[in-house]
Amino acid sequence: MSPPLLSATGVAKRYGAVRALVDGAIEVHAGEVVALLGANGSGKSTLGRVITGITKPDAGTLAIEGVVTHVSSPTRARRLGVAAVYQELSLVPDLTVAENVFLGNEPTRLGGVDHRHLTRVTAELLALFEGVFTVPVTPLTVVQRLPPSERQLVEIVKALSRKPRVLILDEATASLGGRQVDRLFQLVGTWRDRGMGLVFISHRMDEIFRVADRAVVLRDGATVGQLQLRGTVERRAAEQKLVELMTGGGEVGALFLDEARPQTPAAAEHGAAGQALSLRGFASGPLAPLDLDVAPGELVGLGGLQGQGQERLLLALFGALPHRGSMSLGGEQVDLRNPRQALRAGVAYVPGDRNREGLLPVRPILENLLLPSWRRYGTPLRMRAARHDAAGVATELNVRYSGLDANVATLSGGNAQKIVIGKWLLRRPRLLLLNDPTKGIDVEAKEEFYSLLAQLQADGTTVLFTSSDDAELLGLCQRVLVLQDGKVTAELSGATLDRNHLVAASLGAR
Amino acid sequence: MLAEARPARGERFRNLTFLVPLLILGVAVLLNYLLQPNLFQPRVLNGNFRVMLPLMVLAAGQAIVIISGGIDLSVGAVVSLVNVLLVTFVKADSGWSAVLLGLAIGVAAGAAAGALNGLCVAYLRLQPIVTTYATSFLFSGIALAILPRPGGALPRALTTFYRSAPLGVPAAALGIVVLIVTWWALRRTRFAQHLYGVGGDAAAARASGVAVAWTRFSSYVVMGVFAAFSAAMLTLSTGSGNARLGDAMTLSSIVAVVLGGTRLAGGAGGITGAVIGVAILTIIRNLITFANVPTWYQTLIDATIILAALAAPGALRRIRGRA
Repeated sequence: MSPPLLSATGVAKRYGAVRALVDGAIEVHAGEVVALLGANGSGKSTLGRVITGITKPDAGTLAIEGVVTHVSSPTRARRLGVAAVYQELSLVPDLTVAENVFLGNEPTRLGGVDHRHLTRVTAELLALFEGVFTVPVTPLTVVQRLPPSERQLVEIVKALSRKPRVLILDEATASLGGRQVDRLFQLVGTWRDRGMGLVFISHRMDEIFRVADRAVVLRDGATVGQLQLRGTVERRAAEQKLVELMTGGGEVGALFLDEARPQTPAAAEHGAAGQALSLRGFASGPLAPLDLDVAPGELVGLGGLQGQGQERLLLALFGALPHRGSMSLGGEQVDLRNPRQALRAGVAYVPGDRNREGLLPVRPILENLLLPSWRRYGTPLRMRAARHDAAGVATELNVRYSGLDANVATLSGGNAQKIVIGKWLLRRPRLLLLNDPTKGIDVEAKEEFYSLLAQLQADGTTVLFTSSDDAELLGLCQRVLVLQDGKVTAELSGATLDRNHLVAASLGAR
Repeated sequence: MLAEARPARGERFRNLTFLVPLLILGVAVLLNYLLQPNLFQPRVLNGNFRVMLPLMVLAAGQAIVIISGGIDLSVGAVVSLVNVLLVTFVKADSGWSAVLLGLAIGVAAGAAAGALNGLCVAYLRLQPIVTTYATSFLFSGIALAILPRPGGALPRALTTFYRSAPLGVPAAALGIVVLIVTWWALRRTRFAQHLYGVGGDAAAARASGVAVAWTRFSSYVVMGVFAAFSAAMLTLSTGSGNARLGDAMTLSSIVAVVLGGTRLAGGAGGITGAVIGVAILTIIRNLITFANVPTWYQTLIDATIILAALAAPGALRRIRGRA
């Protein structure tokens, strides 16, 4: 048997204290489609990035057709015949389709770029998707004018123009329409039959069963198993097997804080009037309309694979994104058009990227804590009272700091995150929106954060919460809404609130 | 489904972003003609071209830097530096070889200045505005050290040629043609493609395998070379050296690029627009002179143009959003 087109073994990658990948492995043979599967934090995206040369692994071997190589950059990977279609687009909006397709790879003639060749080849490649474009696309169309689905198709065409032997489709179907996906899968079949090797990463179980021959499953940074999918008759059984591989079948729900987990408040049975938050047909952009009632003091998780609309929902609730439908807080109809109004209504949002959105890194702890609350301290500012309040919050949060005048940049990740939350605590919010609040902080800080959440809940603060850590959602929330493609596809609580159900629902398994 | 996909209207003229500036130029020329009826006499026209050409070359270089997402505030100082180098190495009685040597030294100095800017911006990742503002003092300082007091002279044959009109076409006008043909050729290279890519979305360009830092660095070196040629033209026009000669040209070059439809944020525009921008600026200057308005209005107009250009994209989006 000929060596695999691509084989990666023992791939490891560490980001600071986080081990994203411990022992990743994948093999792709000529003429096969391999699905790469894993729950949040399993390391599948890291493995994908290592194969395509975007991320440099700490350890591991990569062989192409049996020859061990170093893939140090995307350019090098492409030269070796490995191309990827990314979901995060790599297109320059101001350039035409043809210019984008050949960017960094321009054919030249007599020292100049051969625009005629460029246009002709692009037209040929675009013809593959003839008839499924929703707007006219020609080689000379400026990318800026194209909707996301067409940009995604251009992205696919771009990867194809490098004539890859291995093509990686990383969530390449996420923004495509139904007919476009059909066409892509039809093409994937043709490419496979011609001997191309394909890696398919998707959050849709349906698509995986439609297109993949084999599935490789990652869990906690290691490849834990694989499953032949082609010719599988019992899909339900196969799905169950995949979910088990992804979860390890283990019980995770009871990992921590079981005694601290607050009980579902009795208010849950009240009508809309007794609800802390009530949504009717609430939608924003690609999010499907959502009806939701949350009781005071309840902690509701938004689960599913990352990037399925969880962040968008939180931002829309915070008034930072345009939205439709109705929203009421404590039985009172509100229309939050911007974060200022949201703050006034008692809604607070803790961003996921604390360095970019949550903190002023070069300013003192004091100023960071008080930034949203200065208006309470009059003109001129009553500094003594402000310092007193800030110190109170810092103590309450158990922040380890040298003094209120120290820069936030001097704090550890966990303590910095406490400041991000602390600045809202001074305002005593009614509804707290948390976007992946424990990402990249150490275990001890996490524990403290969890007890803080419990305390807030006891005080009647309602919390809506996303996390890239499934165990956290399962361990903390009374209820988890699972999102897929901007739609709530399942609501887990009680007996269904476990990892198997969460992963199965995340992928839309039947 | 739409079987035949034709480029939408406007897309075909995507690379002709200078059409609107051309229209403005037409109006400006008409106004100028009304105030100065002898505008189209060869002598007057020739004089106008001579004034325009150095700034056009400079604005062309500035356009390249701005398209790639940068900006160069040291260009005026580089012009001054090359100008004093030229009059230092070339004397009124110099022969051809000395002239060519002087030019070579000037171009090398321009390229070196650009390389310094490029190094700081592309590889050390310093802010382009701050970096080039700082280096402008360095270049000015060197220029002043070389030629503390204005002076020097070029061979008479050279300055006369620059004023002449071989074959009935002003020499300076020929220079403009050469500039546009150079751009036309450059636009067809891979380098130009990468300029637009890097200026449009650096991350996307990097993911596509474009050498982003190298492209940025090169844009500043090309700018330096253009600045050197601009200085050479200017020296032909003035016939002498002055360490402050280029100072006022920095702002003008940026205004011209903006007037020509190049986006300050990078990724779109071209040299043809910048050339037209210079023509518009020069004619506005003429108008101010002929209308007997205080000259400080020129600065006011320059500043207004930049402000309008910065505000236009946001304003347009607002208007479209409401419609």
